Amino acid sequence: MSLLQRDRELITSNEFVKEFDFAEIEQFVKGASKNLFISHKFKTNPTKTLVQPRGGFPTYEKMFALYKEFKSVDVDILPMTIDSNTRLNDYSTAQKMLDLSIKEKQDLLNGYPLINHGYKKTRQMITHFDTPISLRHGTPDARLLVDMALASGAFEIEGGPITYILPYSKNFPQDKAFLYWKHVERLCAKYSEFNEPINRESFGPLTATLVPPVITIVIQICEMLLSLEEGVKSFSVSFAQTGSINQDLVMSNVIRKSARKYADLIGCKDATINLVYHQWMGAFPRDKNFSDALINSAAFIAKMVKANKIITKTRAEAFGIPTKEDNAKAVKDVKYTLNMLRGIPDFVDQEEEAHLEQCVDEIFDAIFNDKADTLWRKIFNSIKNGIIDVPFSPHIINNNELITVRDNKSNIRIYKKGKLPLSNKSIEYEKSKLNLDNSTTVVDQIIKDIGVML
Amino acid sequence: MKVVTGVVGNDIHVVANRLIDISLQNKGFEVFNLGVNTTLQEFIDAVIETGAKILLISSLNGEADGQCRYLNNLKKQYNLKDVTFVIGGNLSVGEAKEEDIIPQFKEYGFDLVFHQVDLTDGLEIIYNYIRDRK
Repeated sequence: MSLLQRDRELITSNEFVKEFDFAEIEQFVKGASKNLFISHKFKTNPTKTLVQPRGGFPTYEKMFALYKEFKSVDVDILPMTIDSNTRLNDYSTAQKMLDLSIKEKQDLLNGYPLINHGYKKTRQMITHFDTPISLRHGTPDARLLVDMALASGAFEIEGGPITYILPYSKNFPQDKAFLYWKHVERLCAKYSEFNEPINRESFGPLTATLVPPVITIVIQICEMLLSLEEGVKSFSVSFAQTGSINQDLVMSNVIRKSARKYADLIGCKDATINLVYHQWMGAFPRDKNFSDALINSAAFIAKMVKANKIITKTRAEAFGIPTKEDNAKAVKDVKYTLNMLRGIPDFVDQEEEAHLEQCVDEIFDAIFNDKADTLWRKIFNSIKNGIIDVPFSPHIINNNELITVRDNKSNIRIYKKGKLPLSNKSIEYEKSKLNLDNSTTVVDQIIKDIGVML
Repeated sequence: MKVVTGVVGNDIHVVANRLIDISLQNKGFEVFNLGVNTTLQEFIDAVIETGAKILLISSLNGEADGQCRYLNNLKKQYNLKDVTFVIGGNLSVGEAKEEDIIPQFKEYGFDLVFHQVDLTDGLEIIYNYIRDRK
């Protein structure tokens, strides 16, 4: 028996897992409809921007109703957002809250508790809608969750050992996360051999608070490399609307080019790389009409950057979990905007792209030159010593010295580089774009720059 | 001067915490930032360990009340006479009036209490308070 299989048997022997029939699951994936695979959908729609909302409810019935609502507006990809107890592997609380949600007919979980529902029941729903499902969670140790998702027919898995730790956790051990996610990558690679590839997606928005493009791109590529080196064949890098259209366009070109370059460098020429664009992830206006405008303008940018997929927000963003109607409205609006936009000119800003690409390479030089023996250890060390630094990460391992502000075109620029291994030339370029006036403090500037969409 | 800061309770709202950190550093303080998800006992331990003269607790999601009502007990256990205790942020779950919240937290043992006060204004008041105290 392989080590992976031995671990899986241990992980699935859990009092909350009612059944887990490995042979039956393998047969299901082998015979599963192509329509369930987002990798297949990407392949057959290479120039389309597919639309995916967010969403998850505790009970099967409400989840079913949500999917039905989304299908009524011709959604491309369905989300399965997991509740926060399950994300912390607390299946007992998830069960308690699920039972109460059914009994009291109100939602006491902020997502779908997949482990408690089990794969057989969930699979019924997924095969009924015959549409790709994307698993959205935030779980440091997602070994059981991902096995359960794949068994259910959810063939896209979001997350990673950096993007699900640094923005979300204060002290979950970063090294453990790398090892747990290695298991997840191996699972996805194994399942990819049965039918169409399982698609992995990294979570580019990170803290969604003034993250400079270079950090987003470096982390996206790190997670991609960790995934590809375990055998994953289809990977989506992602980033969120920055607040500057120019920066979004520059970033999209550089992330595509650099991701391909580094994937090829480690010998993964056959892997497919997709680009996902997140609509504005920062603070939303409280006026729902303004939110609608923000959502539609983000759709415009997604089309400009030729994203393979856009992930939508809703007009209820400032207020909490959206109703299924609000959620479907965003999908409908964004689909209309995407279809209506035609004849968008190509855009290249050579100077900015060369600068950003140079910054990415400078950081990767430092990561690859770390003396550790494996890639995950090199990346781990780079996070520890501040070569990778995420603004506003709550995690104790994060260096927190990097400070960014917006320039007068709203581009996010590096104001203090902390320990980022950027050359003087690169830093000079960033500084040359900034002109902070002396009457505002950096802190006031940052507050203004965070609330740029309010 | 040394200051210990952080966010109390199971509260992961880190943005303001980082901004407080930067602002205090810019004002010349030596900052020990315990970050988010910090218990009251951890704050007190850090004050003792660092010899800080100011403890600046922040809270956003309303956990300050449950966590901080034991401050006077802890103050009695340790000799913290020279320490200025400050709390700020959004100090209640749901809406609450300043005139109710401020006396309540002063009773818990805080010297300065800020409920929904602008960061720059709050830090200015702390700065003046410390200067006058000397």
